[in-house]
Amino acid sequence: MQKSKKSKKSKRGSSDFLLLVSIIALVFIGIVMVFSASWPEAMVEKDDGYFFLRKQLISAIIGSVAMVFFMNFDYRRLKKLSLPIYILSLISGLLIFSPLGSTRKGARRWINLGFTTFMPSDAIKVGSVIFFAAFLANKKDKVRSFKEGVIPALLYMGLSCGLIYLQKDLGTTITLAATMVGMFFISGMKLGLLFVFGAAGALVLYLSSRGEGNEFRANRWTSFLDPFKDKLNTGWQAVQSLYALGSGGLFGLGLGKSRQKFFYIPEAYNDFIFSIIGEELGLIGSLIVLLLFIIVIWRGILIALKTEDLFGCYLASGIVALIAIQSLINIAVVTSSIPTTGITLPFISYGGTSLLFYMSAVGILLNISRYAKLDRS
Amino acid sequence: MQTPSKSTKNRLRFVLGGIIFVGLLLAVRLVQLQIFKSEELKKGALEQWTRAIDIKSQRGIIYDRKGKKLAVSVTAYTVWATPAEIKEPKDTAKQIASVLDMDEELVYEKITKNVSTEKIKQWVTKEEATELRKLNIRGVAVVDDNKRYYPYGNFAAYILGFTDIDNNGLYGVEKTYNKYLTGIPGKWVKTTDAANRQLPYDGEKIYDATDGYSIVLTIDETIQHFAEKAAYQAYLENKAKNVSIIVMEPFSGDVLALANKNDYDPNNPREPLDKNVKEEWEKLSQEELQKKWFEMWRNFAINDIYEPGSTFKMVVAAAALEENPDIINSHYYCNGSVRDIKGVVLNCTSKHGSQTFSEAIHNSCNVALVNIGRQLGKEKLLEYIKAFGFGENSGIDLNGEQKGIVPSGPETIKEVNLATMSYGHGIAVTPIQIINSLSTISNGGNLLKPRLVKEIIDSEGNSIKSFESEVRRKVISEQTSKTMLNILRGVVEEGSGKRAYIPGYRVGGKTGTAQKIIDGRYAPGKYIASFAAVAPTDDPKIVVLVVIDEPSGSYYGGTIAGPVIKSVMEDTLNYLEVEPIYDKKDEEEIEKKITVPDVRNKPIGEGGKELADLGLKYITEYQEISADSIIVDQFPLPGVEVIKGSIIDLYLNKRTQIERLMPDLIGKTNEGVVSILDDLGIQYELKGNGKAIRQEPEPGVQINEDVKIFVEFSSQ
Repeated sequence: MQKSKKSKKSKRGSSDFLLLVSIIALVFIGIVMVFSASWPEAMVEKDDGYFFLRKQLISAIIGSVAMVFFMNFDYRRLKKLSLPIYILSLISGLLIFSPLGSTRKGARRWINLGFTTFMPSDAIKVGSVIFFAAFLANKKDKVRSFKEGVIPALLYMGLSCGLIYLQKDLGTTITLAATMVGMFFISGMKLGLLFVFGAAGALVLYLSSRGEGNEFRANRWTSFLDPFKDKLNTGWQAVQSLYALGSGGLFGLGLGKSRQKFFYIPEAYNDFIFSIIGEELGLIGSLIVLLLFIIVIWRGILIALKTEDLFGCYLASGIVALIAIQSLINIAVVTSSIPTTGITLPFISYGGTSLLFYMSAVGILLNISRYAKLDRS
Repeated sequence: MQTPSKSTKNRLRFVLGGIIFVGLLLAVRLVQLQIFKSEELKKGALEQWTRAIDIKSQRGIIYDRKGKKLAVSVTAYTVWATPAEIKEPKDTAKQIASVLDMDEELVYEKITKNVSTEKIKQWVTKEEATELRKLNIRGVAVVDDNKRYYPYGNFAAYILGFTDIDNNGLYGVEKTYNKYLTGIPGKWVKTTDAANRQLPYDGEKIYDATDGYSIVLTIDETIQHFAEKAAYQAYLENKAKNVSIIVMEPFSGDVLALANKNDYDPNNPREPLDKNVKEEWEKLSQEELQKKWFEMWRNFAINDIYEPGSTFKMVVAAAALEENPDIINSHYYCNGSVRDIKGVVLNCTSKHGSQTFSEAIHNSCNVALVNIGRQLGKEKLLEYIKAFGFGENSGIDLNGEQKGIVPSGPETIKEVNLATMSYGHGIAVTPIQIINSLSTISNGGNLLKPRLVKEIIDSEGNSIKSFESEVRRKVISEQTSKTMLNILRGVVEEGSGKRAYIPGYRVGGKTGTAQKIIDGRYAPGKYIASFAAVAPTDDPKIVVLVVIDEPSGSYYGGTIAGPVIKSVMEDTLNYLEVEPIYDKKDEEEIEKKITVPDVRNKPIGEGGKELADLGLKYITEYQEISADSIIVDQFPLPGVEVIKGSIIDLYLNKRTQIERLMPDLIGKTNEGVVSILDDLGIQYELKGNGKAIRQEPEPGVQINEDVKIFVEFSSQ
């Protein structure tokens, strides 16, 4: 193993260009759209239309630095660091329950660091992916073994997802769970387990929409079936999102000209930024963004396929899975194709922590690509 | 080296395929939403973005026939709040409250409501508006509005009606012509955010309002004033419940004036004009108050029915003459009552003896009228009653007109009904029907639709629609009309209508007095006195009807409604510049001044003769007088110089005239008691139903005018 590592090092090539360009495009679109979508709220709440733009720009710059750093940081060293990274991410998740934890809109999801806030679920996502990739790579064929593979894998999944679920963040929980199941699947788990996971997932969804304090999730199911039935209440977000997409039409109302961002869609720069893209830039804009995500996913899976290193393959798969699942769920929610769940659109939605970790993850992916036998067109 | 296995790579490819498939599904979904469902969704979105605020159109003006403005729209100011734009509601509320003199908490409540716009106060004064505009508060707008204003106050209230605060007509022509008066409201469309703030794009679109058309009434403001003045005076003098006066032009059917007193001010239709009543109303519940309002807004002249009494005799007479012109030569004998109907005695006002047809009308003789009615027969009588427009709407442009009550067919008319109908009882009419029938008699026999609105014009004065006189049918011939006018002239010159006599103007008319029917039975002590008149009888220019509802004291049409007719007629004919033509008799009367003699303390027979010899006329409060009633007072007083033909009011002391004995009423029915007591002409009070069981005073006791009779009934 040591040997091969050295030999790989010498073969280090350039990063996957198409992936890099797509990510830059997404981040750029994100900055522009956050600016556009946040303007009304920024003007009313902060008296400063550039408030969210400024923060997103700073995050993008930090994210870019992190991405460039990881592009040049040998991902294989992460394998050794995977456990400390994982533990750190878990601790950050636990910090939420310390006095540093901060609550917004009824959800305790942030840590206040004084100069900025930090969203540990993003750290947990990336930390879990790195650790799980290392775990799976170490287990090799033993992943099929119940005792050595399945039990520990389930344990780690439970640990990571459970910590996020405690933050009442079902969307992220699903994203991470699906990502880890995906990684487990790719590493060669028994297919029968898929049914188990499927059943478990269904059970979790069912339980999560039951009981006191969870009525909002039950409402999301009913309002998903017919959002217009109660469009002023439970169906509000879905209806507003559809109105935005629909009024965009083919060419959109023009950049900056969304009406729906004027408080019809709450926090339009966040979870529902894709509907503002659809409203301002039309079907053309929304399809371009969708296409960019598909390109990122395609290139990411290609990198995983072409990587000779098992850890690199799993890590690439995990990172791609994170991006793929979160972006597709977000777009599905925005288009009212699945029930509403609070989840941001990677690279585009407003949020420093998310941008930082996703760009770092893409940096890692790009670093892996440098060792892959890619046909860099 | 650990390399990914083949299965790993296959699974990766499978996952890639799955993701691309999901991506395609989402792409299809986007196409569906943004292309195929785009229109539908855009519509929903537009609906929530746009707010339309009505811009009121200016309501048209209501003119009288001479172009005087009776109802106008004036600029008023309305204060609106846009709650979303108000930053400091506490301070703002304080400021607004102090300027508009409103309750601070109420203002605060309004400006913090979760609505797009909220009306803070409608119709503030110009000063308040200016002050508020100076303060320039964000989110508070002072908008030009218009308000209905009736410059003459409680003038022609029952014709004009009034509007609600949104300028919709609720009563009168404001209601019946609302559709022409309102115009088309404009719209102010703007796009707003979810918190109702104006969006930065699209701007606002303003669609101007189209002002309403104006209407020109047939009412003449001056004549209306005469009618209002006379009605008010009669209302006060008689302490009546209501006085209604209608003035019409007989040949066109134009209503020149229509006044009811007591009335209300359409500028403030929910407040009674009388201060005492206003105080009383403050204690009422909302429900009771509403009842009072509706009562106050009733237009007596068209919404209420009454038994016409003797005024109806002109209709019967006209019918009889039309059927048989020779009837004018008939003679009728009156012995005081009609006794040939089984079980009923119909009394006349007195024993008139032998009379010609004309004299019978002059005397308003019930017995003669019963005979005339019989000559006509019930089929013909009913036919004419209907032909004259009774039992159907006159078609006047006001709401809630009553049809009155006439027998549905001749088979329902019994002998007694035929008799009573002949002198105007057992039938119910509205004042507008009575005056319309007099118009028909006066104009050569055409029954017209009363016209209230002449024309609809736009703001430049161009005619939009004009209304012509409408003849409903020919009822009687020219000849009958002429004959009737002469007979009616006789009523005023020689008969019961003397008080309406105006030298030179040849007034004709018919008086009427009827007991009121309340809840289906005659209400004791409650009368309706009326007088319908036309002038000049040789070339009728106007017909006037005066109806006095529930007068206190004297209740005879000739006595109390006559002077009102005279006042309105004289004023109106002068105003219309109808040249008085004095005949020899009139001229002599005018030239010759007579000093009024002192007839006080003389019996009426003697005093009356003295006055008659001097060429003076006299009138007393009572019709049933005997020659030995003593005159206690007179007006004008002795020594005053008056022209020949003037009327001297004589006040009699009945106490000294006949000593009457209280009749025995025990065991008699309500109706029987009422008829006996009415004949006595003394006030009485009845209690209960059935047969009389107790009476005050006792039978046989001497009674006079001042006695209050009380009878109690019991059904056991």
